[in-house]
Amino acid sequence: MGTHAAYDVIVVGSGAAGGIAAYVLTMKGLKVLCLEAGRMLDPSRDFFTHKFPYEWPYRGEGKPGQYGKLPQGMEWKIKEWTDHLYTIPAEDPYALAPGSKFTWTRLRAVGGRTNLWGRGCDRFGPLDFKPKSLQDGWGEDWPISYEDVEPYYDRVEQLIGVSGSSEEVYNTPSGKHLLPAFNPRCGEVLIRKGAVKLGIKVTPKPLAVLSRIYDNRPPCHYCGACNWGCDVGARYSSLDVLVPKLSRQKNFELRTNAPVHTILMDRSTGKARGVTYIDTRNGLEYEAYGKAVVLAASLVESIRILMNSRDREYPSGLANSSGTMGHYLMEHVAFNSIEGFFPQLAGRPTSNDDGPGESCLYIPRYNYGEKDRKYLRGWRFDFYTGCGMGPGPGARFPGFGSAYKKKIKELYPAAVQMGGYGEGLPFYWNYVEIDPGGLRDRFEIPQVRFHTTSEYDHAFAIRDEMYGQMEEILKASGAEIFPYEKESPYPLGSVTHEAGGCRMGNDSRTSVLDEWNRCHDVKNVLVVDAGCFVSHPEKQITHTIMALAYRASHHLAEEFRRGDV
Amino acid sequence: MGQRLIARRQSLKYLGMLAGSVAGREFLAAWLPKSEKAEPIRPTESSYTPLFFEPEEFSAVEALTELIIPTDQSPGAKQAQVARYIDFLVSAASEYNPALQHEWTDGLQLLDRLSREKYQRSFHEISAREKQMLLEEMSLPEQDSGRTHPGYKFYRLLKEMTVEGFYTSQVGLIQVLEYKGLSALSEFPGCTHPEHQS
Repeated sequence: MGTHAAYDVIVVGSGAAGGIAAYVLTMKGLKVLCLEAGRMLDPSRDFFTHKFPYEWPYRGEGKPGQYGKLPQGMEWKIKEWTDHLYTIPAEDPYALAPGSKFTWTRLRAVGGRTNLWGRGCDRFGPLDFKPKSLQDGWGEDWPISYEDVEPYYDRVEQLIGVSGSSEEVYNTPSGKHLLPAFNPRCGEVLIRKGAVKLGIKVTPKPLAVLSRIYDNRPPCHYCGACNWGCDVGARYSSLDVLVPKLSRQKNFELRTNAPVHTILMDRSTGKARGVTYIDTRNGLEYEAYGKAVVLAASLVESIRILMNSRDREYPSGLANSSGTMGHYLMEHVAFNSIEGFFPQLAGRPTSNDDGPGESCLYIPRYNYGEKDRKYLRGWRFDFYTGCGMGPGPGARFPGFGSAYKKKIKELYPAAVQMGGYGEGLPFYWNYVEIDPGGLRDRFEIPQVRFHTTSEYDHAFAIRDEMYGQMEEILKASGAEIFPYEKESPYPLGSVTHEAGGCRMGNDSRTSVLDEWNRCHDVKNVLVVDAGCFVSHPEKQITHTIMALAYRASHHLAEEFRRGDV
Repeated sequence: MGQRLIARRQSLKYLGMLAGSVAGREFLAAWLPKSEKAEPIRPTESSYTPLFFEPEEFSAVEALTELIIPTDQSPGAKQAQVARYIDFLVSAASEYNPALQHEWTDGLQLLDRLSREKYQRSFHEISAREKQMLLEEMSLPEQDSGRTHPGYKFYRLLKEMTVEGFYTSQVGLIQVLEYKGLSALSEFPGCTHPEHQS
């Protein structure tokens, strides 16, 4: 083990953020080592996208009780199609403070959660980066603006391939060179018609799914199984799109089964000199040396690594002189969907409504400039319609026998459900820490404890407003709505949109990262995953994760070129 | 979001829960047909050796599942071998969810007791019509939250697992619902109906 820097940059993680960071840095000629905690996936062996429920022993749901009691938001993700991909809490535990809830969905493999993501690719808007100064005076502004990020949204879209439209929507900017949008299903068209009556815009949802051949990748073949992977790489994942490009580069090295434990510091310079990691195949710890370390392990893992790297100078975690690391965790305000059916579509012949997996249309945020309300900011709505892989709305009716069976068949093509995301707010008291109870994983790495709740006033208030708005839109579309119970906002992490904990800012006393995702305290350590988020608007977050990872990596490469690292 | 339209075991918890509220009952009054007529039950298939149930229990499960999703103009639970699926699943529950096994054995015992109270014969011995009537009584709380029945809990378990087993089978999903998805298309036309567009 030498002490010289073997690599220019060590990138930790290969998912949404790590894939982009590794790609940008490698293409700029830097010598990159990417450490991935999980294994390499082979789409032909690991994805079961064309398998029907009756082709699995337990119809895809696993042995009764096999997955333990999964936290809310994880139940629908872990199936026989995917249970070999995700980490389940029973095998890879995390701790919860008394009264706290958190759903931590982990996919430890090359490509991370981009293997099974929702594929929504909306951009944050100008107001979203400046919520305090441009919206309502609450919270914090980002140290960057939309104009700073815009060129990187463009580059990401060009790299990964996004289908959608360039329709103008206030504060929801869109790329100008997207692939054609997908054709909407009957129910989606009905909702568009209903919403227009209320003056609400329904637009094509930007999706990282190819509607045409792009970059030598085949277009979507509409099997609709994207939540189980994609066997042709028609949707973006860093596994399918970036790893093949990177593996042709001599200056790129990928090491799998290598969860990072700590960051190695050089006390004489105050800079990081590498990392320690475990080889999960033999359980031994190794060191890797680099001139810069880019953390992209997903924010909780990145925070775990920084906190486990605590030393005399940084007793509460490396680069945590502000004391804010782990704090201001956020997630969308999310809750149960409203379900129902379209009488207009009842009794129609079955149609193939799988399409590109996701819905083709959605309702971007439309509430701006409201006064005297109990919530801040806004929401977006998504809706799912048509024939799915289950009995549909008719199954919810009482009774049994032929009439019941007939009802199921009649309403099968008429299904609709609508759900939404409201802006989640950052609070100091929503945080993650190294478990004071000493929880460790099977490699003896100290693990985290969450101290989080989603049940705060704003969340309930915006939820109530959203239920009402969804009812109005569905009714205007002619849908019948099943009576529903208002559920508490889902625990943080439930929709796999966790963000914050290492927020960026201009003031090193109140933030962990600077505007280039560098730690204020240790400038050659970057955190480029969603940990850097300052606010959590209603939009999907992955596109912004990728754009910011692109931007930060681009800047780091410039620093290398100037010899500043 | 992004879950497939109906995440099954998740959506099943809502099955038949509409009667639990005033809004639900009003909703049902508008949408429920006025009467139901059931088909006669066919005799038990004999070539299968159950994994979990006793032979007599298994024939009860066969009869019950066929009552929930009968064979009529289209195939029902029997053709989809839903009873075998339930037997397989309940047997497999030994490892992580033995409570499910108790729910079934207790439920079937209760069914026998209810049958003896009402007809002085075991569930196995009563006629198809009587089985149907007993199940109807057990199901009443579903339509009217003011009603209770000792067999309601078991009725719900039976219904949930039958619906799940049937509509995840090739018979239920492909033949009956005529699900066309999970196939490769070169184009996705979306909605092509002028009447929906405007």
